[in-house]
Amino acid sequence: MPVFPSEDWLQALCRKLNDDAQYARIAARWEGDLAFIVEPEGPLTERLVYYLDLWHGTCRRAAAYKGLDEVQPAFLLQAGYGNFARILQGDLDPMQAMLTRKLHVKGNMAVMMRNVPTVLDFVRCAREVTDDILR
Amino acid sequence: MQPVLKIDLATRESRPWEIPADWQRDFLGGSALAARLLYEHLTPDLDPLSPAAPLLFLTGPLTGTSGPAVGRFVVCGKSPATGLWAESNAGGFWGVALRKAGYDGLWITGQSEKPLYLLVTSEGVTFHDGRMVWGLDTYETQEALREWHPLPGLRVATIGRAGEIGVRFAGIFCDHGRTAGRTGLGAVMGAKRLKAIAVQGDKALPLYDPTAYGAARSQANRALKNQPMTQVLRDLGSAGGAEYFDYLGEMPKRYFSLGALEGAENISGASVAETILVGKSACHSCVIACGRVVDLGDGTKRKGPEYETLVGFGPNLGFTDPVFAARMGEICDRYGMDVISASGVIGLVFKLYEMGKISVQDLDGLQAEWGNEHAVEVLLHEIGAGRKLGALLGQGSLAVARHFGAEEAAVQVNGLELPYHDPRGASGMALVYATSPRGACHNKSDYFLVDIGQAEEEIGLAYFDRHAGAEKAANVARHQDWRSLFDALVMCHFASVPAETIRTLVNLATGRDYSLEDLLQIGARAFQLKRVINHRLGLTGKNDRLPEAILQPLKEGGAAGYVIPFADMLAAYYRVRDWDPDSGRPRAARLEALGLGETIPSLWTNQTGEKA
Repeated sequence: MPVFPSEDWLQALCRKLNDDAQYARIAARWEGDLAFIVEPEGPLTERLVYYLDLWHGTCRRAAAYKGLDEVQPAFLLQAGYGNFARILQGDLDPMQAMLTRKLHVKGNMAVMMRNVPTVLDFVRCAREVTDDILR
Repeated sequence: MQPVLKIDLATRESRPWEIPADWQRDFLGGSALAARLLYEHLTPDLDPLSPAAPLLFLTGPLTGTSGPAVGRFVVCGKSPATGLWAESNAGGFWGVALRKAGYDGLWITGQSEKPLYLLVTSEGVTFHDGRMVWGLDTYETQEALREWHPLPGLRVATIGRAGEIGVRFAGIFCDHGRTAGRTGLGAVMGAKRLKAIAVQGDKALPLYDPTAYGAARSQANRALKNQPMTQVLRDLGSAGGAEYFDYLGEMPKRYFSLGALEGAENISGASVAETILVGKSACHSCVIACGRVVDLGDGTKRKGPEYETLVGFGPNLGFTDPVFAARMGEICDRYGMDVISASGVIGLVFKLYEMGKISVQDLDGLQAEWGNEHAVEVLLHEIGAGRKLGALLGQGSLAVARHFGAEEAAVQVNGLELPYHDPRGASGMALVYATSPRGACHNKSDYFLVDIGQAEEEIGLAYFDRHAGAEKAANVARHQDWRSLFDALVMCHFASVPAETIRTLVNLATGRDYSLEDLLQIGARAFQLKRVINHRLGLTGKNDRLPEAILQPLKEGGAAGYVIPFADMLAAYYRVRDWDPDSGRPRAARLEALGLGETIPSLWTNQTGEKA
């Protein structure tokens, strides 16, 4: 029963991305690794960095880090724990989060905007593996 | 607030006009204050192309203060395209220079015997023979006046040939392609034989608390610069979201008749960035820099296409080539024509040709087939110069459709062509287009962004599904009010700034103590006042409609099969706005509550709201 945030949750998401036919189809042209930077807030007391290497509709590797010194992903998605939790629970649309200054994105915006459907389907997968959140 | 300079082109007299303090408080500036200033003057019998018609340039209380994206000015009057309220704002540096000359606006009436241009400085206005620039394009005119008046920071707003000959969608252009494009105010300027207005000044701008304002605007700019939306706009321009709009079925194709078009993904900010982009440009002190600079292969740096140009001269006409769109955009800019209306009227020609309503003979041998680049370029030149069929096309889509006996084919509302955000992909735009005070317009509310998530909890702006119906009516009205506030400040809608930050800046600039609700009330007051003006000019509830094409479902793409529940949405919207369901007029009680009681007699016979 994966709980966000946890190593179990991260690996469950990686498996889901590799098993999901819809994601494989929509993300077939995606090339680029990314990292979530989850800022401490509420029950989360320290910053988390969750790294995912995404390539042509698959997840090649997922790992948790203490900071960004060890990885330099193409995309960074940064938000407070509360907003990540709201996105994963379906209470906050990911585009809404970006447009309302709740989720910060860094990286090649041309690639990102060309692949909004991939991003949205990635979030669908993440929601489907989230059984609970840290409380 | 600094005075508005009143200028009579016939007598060549001018005098400063101090704006009453209560109007400044209740309307702030920009198009909101313009509505109040013009209220008594925009009458049904006023010909917008007559000498008596006022042409009002106005800035806002933040213009030129280096706040977040506040380098803009607005032009207002009566539209020759719609016969209704006209407003159109532009960025660049012209509005800033006007304020630095010591004026917050220019009120221009009369008609010159011969073409002229104005030079406005802190010394006042001087009148200059304009025959040497009459006939020049908008870029040439700006260059000529800068050469003849080598003053530091001189800026020029001008019309092109289209404005001179009265094209109903002629705009006013400044700063190499910054445009007040919509509603035909360039034709109003041309009818006065006023080619251009050069402005220059170096006065300090009035701020109530400059020290605190300086700190607040620096903080606001830093925050704005780091917003994801800003990053998209800076990296990709206003077409940054084009692929997503295409995916949602919100990007029109073949004059709103197709939901998908092969190659449409080439029409995007990303595509421009990866092919022809060589630089970026920004309005005064703007940290966004959404302007594009491109090289089309000839080594010349040009203004690059923004979203409306890319789509209007792209999928709208069956093209998927950003280079072609950029070229057509420049032709429009040089003639001084609005790209939305110009590409819209050509889209209508192509549609009528497909329907068999226009023949090759009508087009003097042209085949108006989707994707025929030659036909588009020829028609643009004919419109800009008023030649052949161009003389008719320059009257706008509604006139063209009526001429060929196919009025319902025109994709327009109240005489203004639809911008390229299809309401079938983002249903809120259905209400926005139908009820906009200036005809179909995406700048009185860019609700298509709210429909994909740009909600603002601080001001009670919620997020509804993009295909939700009547339940989003109150949200649409709220967003229109919010954007009407932006238009009072003449603040760029691309500035994704928290509402509380805007409140702080306005209060530090003006010395007043507005609450957020006060500011929303200013927006609501302006929106309803423009509605009152329009009713007096002949608008009724029957004008609140959508073109037939938009009410039909698309067969393909991200909005396939969706039918806008427009009647239900409009009824709900009327209830929110407190508009009479029969006449569409704002009820007296609502007008009174907004402090617009003095307008009630123009619509109603008594304060209880009985019909006049």
